[in-house]
Amino acid sequence: MFADGGLSGDQRLFHSVVVAEIRYSLNMCVQLDLPHYFLADLPFGAEITHSMLSDACDTLIRNGENYLPEWTTEKLISMFDQLGHDWLNANFPHRKYALDQGPEVTGFSRQTLANGLDALFETLNRESLEELIIQDLGELNRLDGFADSRSGSRTRHAALARGPELIAQIAAGSIPNATILMIVFGMLARSAQLVKCASGSTFLPRLFAHSLYEVAPKLGACLEIVEWRGGDKHLESVLFEKSDCVIASGSDETLTAIRQRLPGRGRFLGYGHRVSFGYVTVESLASSRLSDLAGRAAADVVAWNQLGCLSPHVFYVEHGGRVSAVQFAEALAGELEKLEQSEPRGPLPTDQASTIATRRSFYELRASNSPETVLWSSPESTSWTVVYEADPLFQVSCLNRFVYVKGVTGLKQAIEGADAVRKNISTVGLASTGPRAESIALEFANWGATRICAIGQMQKPPLTWRHDGRPSLGDLVTWTDWER
Amino acid sequence: MNQNLVFDDFIARVRAFIGSSLSEPDSASLSAAPSDSEDFEDLALHLFRFQFENVPVYRRFCEGRGVSEKNVHTWREIPALPVRAFKEFDVSSLPVADRTSVFYSSGTAGQKSSRHLHSAVSLGLYESALLRWFSHCFLNFKDTALRVSDLGSNCDPFVGELAPSEKRRFVILTPAAEQAPNSSLVHMFETIKRVFGDCDSVFAGDADSQCGWTVNSSRVVAALENAILHSTPVIVLGTAFSYVHLLDFVASQHRRLELPVGSKVLETGGYKGRSRTLTKCELHSLIETCLGVSEAKIISEYGMSELSSQAYLRGGFFRFPPWAAACVVSPETGDEVGDGEQGLIRVFDLANARSVMGIQTEDLGVRRGDAFELIGRAELSEPRGCSLMAV
Repeated sequence: MFADGGLSGDQRLFHSVVVAEIRYSLNMCVQLDLPHYFLADLPFGAEITHSMLSDACDTLIRNGENYLPEWTTEKLISMFDQLGHDWLNANFPHRKYALDQGPEVTGFSRQTLANGLDALFETLNRESLEELIIQDLGELNRLDGFADSRSGSRTRHAALARGPELIAQIAAGSIPNATILMIVFGMLARSAQLVKCASGSTFLPRLFAHSLYEVAPKLGACLEIVEWRGGDKHLESVLFEKSDCVIASGSDETLTAIRQRLPGRGRFLGYGHRVSFGYVTVESLASSRLSDLAGRAAADVVAWNQLGCLSPHVFYVEHGGRVSAVQFAEALAGELEKLEQSEPRGPLPTDQASTIATRRSFYELRASNSPETVLWSSPESTSWTVVYEADPLFQVSCLNRFVYVKGVTGLKQAIEGADAVRKNISTVGLASTGPRAESIALEFANWGATRICAIGQMQKPPLTWRHDGRPSLGDLVTWTDWER
Repeated sequence: MNQNLVFDDFIARVRAFIGSSLSEPDSASLSAAPSDSEDFEDLALHLFRFQFENVPVYRRFCEGRGVSEKNVHTWREIPALPVRAFKEFDVSSLPVADRTSVFYSSGTAGQKSSRHLHSAVSLGLYESALLRWFSHCFLNFKDTALRVSDLGSNCDPFVGELAPSEKRRFVILTPAAEQAPNSSLVHMFETIKRVFGDCDSVFAGDADSQCGWTVNSSRVVAALENAILHSTPVIVLGTAFSYVHLLDFVASQHRRLELPVGSKVLETGGYKGRSRTLTKCELHSLIETCLGVSEAKIISEYGMSELSSQAYLRGGFFRFPPWAAACVVSPETGDEVGDGEQGLIRVFDLANARSVMGIQTEDLGVRRGDAFELIGRAELSEPRGCSLMAV
């Protein structure tokens, strides 16, 4: 672990002043038993004021100036490599905490959380971090100083990459992956960061921030986690004014609204909502064992309860294999039921369960009146649902383990069926073997998919994944070229 | 026996049940759960058998669940057809030649409309049901006044005439039936006006070429001012969005109307993007401010074109009449939830004789005894996440 020494007096002072300002209604912090490092540690219902936020931004910038230069890329990589390993350790206190308290706070079952955290932190290691930096910046040490291009270059140009002074991250949704990784990337870029989470979804980013604070308090002092209800223009205006990079995820409307309100300077990185699907070729149905393929497809559906933009809504299955699309759907249903035993979905609020029940009853009705629709669903619960439809039109799922299987004559029909969501496609999970895999991948790429992976890996992108087709670290930095 | 005759005979029985259900003009008879009566059970099980045999889409739905006439023993076991069935199929036992009327749902922009088919006889049942429950909840007829139960029998329930002094003044914010012939709501208002309305009662809405409805606010205000001038109590009927348009108009003129004592307001339906959306509290408060009708005199209606009976907000909760029953069921198990718990609203409406009695709505409610509290529509609530449908 790293000994960074204690916090400076002003840093401590800032937190204690803020905490003293708050009137408590329900002491969430005591319930969660976490120290008050971040604004998100304040009691549930505590009001974040304009001046608190403004002070927090100023403190972050000041702490960034004072503490971040002490960190070399190598030191950061070593620290995150260790932290990634720690989070995979069953006895790591923050992980234990996440798994003990998480089901109640987040709604994910313990096993779903455990698998989600494993998939995330398995990518946070030295090898991946180095690969990411080289992929996005060309050289490992370009965040430390000027570095020449790799040997073999005929020019004597050197380049240095510098991150923003203060990144404001406006995170949406309940899946922590993008938020946590952006904290890592921001740290690599030596940026102070303020992460604003959607209300009720700070739990995992906050625990990660605490784990970072424990090993590197000065880095933790360059990070703030805060939560308020979206759309508070008064508070957002502070962020937009103080930060020189705004990263936001949300609906297209949200992103457009934010973009319009940003001052001219600074950088805006918007990540819109996305959907994903799987494509199963006739060869893979012939050569794979059905239960293995269906099991991997089910794992993609079950990961984070299908709530992520990398989660499949639909599996397109080619006709003509040894296994029919309906048989694949049936096998998928069987695997979802198995996973429900080991990795339950967990309870849902009534409105979300009602959405599933309502949609299911609609397909039940269709299924009873036409052989072109078949429905499989968990008995006496809304835990999982598989709908087979002959119609190749892409259907947006109501999520929480509700997935469509659609039979297609080939790639053309799938692409036509998914045309309506072409601009919102993230990942295509592909089950294909042999030379056809390459041509299919090329077709999907030309069509607009920004990520193609094996079925079973859809919710497990590598650290080097280019989020929505853009380099995550590369998009943060500003270059200085030195033509010596 | 001819299928139509069987149904007509059944409809006559339901009408008799409707006629005898509300012997007292006030809420005294509502304390018991009417759907637990033997009559309701008997009629419901009979109707289920008829509908199972004669509505093909319903029969297949039941068979898909392994349900038939043989294994349904109480009305609560009758399968409820998803309300969306009315969008996809002809949910009807009527021979094509007898389908004399059809009601389409107003729907939300871009969605398919549902259709509810009627014959002259089933339409008569719809009218009997709506008049009976409306008069019971809204019109406190004196003993001497003609009651709907006295209004006739069989196909034509409107043989009788109310004495002119018993007639009421209605100002209705929707278009009239000739402009909106396929709206079950307009048909309901038209029927109410025809039977209970005085000669100055008016429809003050218009339908545009896209079948959108607008309120002619000047006409409404003129009609209301006329009633104020003559101290005639008014009953205003309209959709929630039509009130927003009207009240915005009144406010824009910096006016405030004070409707005569005894006036009432009925509001129904959602907003469907046709006006800004207000909570029920906000709407009622605005009505109170702009029209001078107190909260106690504002009644909300819960109805849909796929049903033939309506629920009115009484004592804080929605109640259907004794010939219809609402259950709130768990979305997880389909079983009825406990008192005070949330779930999906399921309605069994005996007046839905020629379509299907058991309807599974997409609306969320809280069970309050045999009544319910309305929360909203299930399909609008989407899970949170970063996927496309997330909010």
